[in-house]
Amino acid sequence: MYMRPVLLNSCAMAATAEEARYRINAPIVASKAVRVVALDAGAAPIVQRVAKHPWTSARFYICAPVARTDGAGSAIDVDLATIDGSATRLSDELIDVDATVMVATGNAGATPASAIGMACTLRGIMTAGLILGTGHEADAAAAALRPYARVLLISKDEHDVFDVLTALRA
Amino acid sequence: MLKPEINELLTRVGPGTPMSELFRQYWIPALLAEELPENDCAPVRVKLLSERLIAFRDSEGRYGIMDEFCAHRGASLWFGRNEESGLRCPYHGWKYDVTGQCIDVPSEPENSTFCANVKLTAYPLVKVGDVLWTHMGDPTKRPPLPEYEFIQVPAEQTYTSKRWQESNWLQALEGGIDSSHVSFLHSGALNTDPLFKGAKGNEYNLNDLKPFFEVTENDGGLLIGARRSADNGNYYWRITPWVMPSFTMVPPRGDHPMHGHFWVPIDDYNCWVFTFDYHPIRALTAAERQAMKDGYGVHSENIPGTYRPVRNKDNDYLMDRAAQRRGETFSGVQGIAIQDASLQESMGPIVDRSKERLVPTDGGIIKARQKLRKAVLALRDEGVTPPGVDTAHHRVRSASVVLAQEESFIEACRDTVMAVPGVAQSTV
Repeated sequence: MYMRPVLLNSCAMAATAEEARYRINAPIVASKAVRVVALDAGAAPIVQRVAKHPWTSARFYICAPVARTDGAGSAIDVDLATIDGSATRLSDELIDVDATVMVATGNAGATPASAIGMACTLRGIMTAGLILGTGHEADAAAAALRPYARVLLISKDEHDVFDVLTALRA
Repeated sequence: MLKPEINELLTRVGPGTPMSELFRQYWIPALLAEELPENDCAPVRVKLLSERLIAFRDSEGRYGIMDEFCAHRGASLWFGRNEESGLRCPYHGWKYDVTGQCIDVPSEPENSTFCANVKLTAYPLVKVGDVLWTHMGDPTKRPPLPEYEFIQVPAEQTYTSKRWQESNWLQALEGGIDSSHVSFLHSGALNTDPLFKGAKGNEYNLNDLKPFFEVTENDGGLLIGARRSADNGNYYWRITPWVMPSFTMVPPRGDHPMHGHFWVPIDDYNCWVFTFDYHPIRALTAAERQAMKDGYGVHSENIPGTYRPVRNKDNDYLMDRAAQRRGETFSGVQGIAIQDASLQESMGPIVDRSKERLVPTDGGIIKARQKLRKAVLALRDEGVTPPGVDTAHHRVRSASVVLAQEESFIEACRDTVMAVPGVAQSTV
């Protein structure tokens, strides 16, 4: 039996500014962890600039232009460098991660893009790609990312990296 | 997530606010032409950008929209007599023309020039298509009239309705560029709504609930592509254009008419949703037009004589849990428009975006907010004309296509998202 609501807060009319005061005001938990990877030499200084801002959970990397492969030529890992230059590997950096954001300005990162995308897919990590350019400079990188990146943002504006990470509470 | 000060910047639309100034760069829909159907008809009260206005059509068929209140004692001109080329306040007989100029003050001597110095704030009101458009900004910077395709095609090919939405304009707009909710919220309607059913694309929509997105800048705004799996390893793309500040189109389905919205701020807490359907190359059928009037597709069934939806927050949107259980609707609310409105209104009049938990698939919304913020600040700080003012930016349309996996929708659909007179839409 449908019961007609009798209190303001028990019906849709409660969508007022006054009723909004009664929403639970618990702190918003930041993203568990976000990884940001510059895929090519053009993307590296952009990611380095963004990394200077204070972030909650984001870590920033510059990746090597080729992926490590197995005997059959399939990518098995990607060499990364942190912003301070320390060497690390993708597989070590994807533990307990929510999202990976890849940044490309050209086609040089197509191979690692594919490897990173596949690694994230296998681990159930949301992948986003930011292609920064005005023409066809990064078509191959976009094509490599397309099968894996749940969202591809193609833009001329490097500030998009900052805005996306801010929106994600990275 | 948005910082509170950015949320305020983008949502507050009262006079003097930066977002109000942005909207005042554009021609915006003010009323439907049907609201002023004949010369000397009843005037209509309308609030836009937090200004209370009165619209009327004079004895010569000229349209005007001006301050609702008489300059004399502040009485509402809605009570006025619209006759002999002007709107006369019934209180003391002061009369105004469509430019807001006072043209008669009966208490003054015959040869008095008193009324020449009395003028109400007024804006131009121009009929283009089924819509009356106004420009509330600086007359010296008035752009050419809008050229959106839905107002350019012949009258028999287009239909526009409107409804009142009880939320801030931005959360309504954001629904228009958020393609990922279609597979859930609107899933019940895809195979039953007379303006959607039968399209092959509906199958792709319903079979793939995890779309991928690509967002790219376009002249005047954005193109947002949502990609789902199609047959034979191909991808089904639905491409949504957004033209600043608040024009969006829904990707088409089959040979059904194309549709979209204009989201217009009434004040901080309310907006008008102008909803259109048109077909680029054929007349709408009588059945299609009737379905639109009955609230199918993206239109709403309104309370007769008003633009308030029958399903509204006062009646819990006539929630039907049985229909929800039967799978006829996903949310229990009937009708695409009200399915959206019910949830957007439930967020509160201005949702607190500092408490959101966005995910990467919200990329279109993130980018749209960024473009709005940049345009508002560039206008305020440097006087830069925002995207979407140029009428070339209006000649865009939505599309749905099937492409091979390796194809970029941006490259493959460069022409299909251009509105070209006499050329059919790309649709699946």
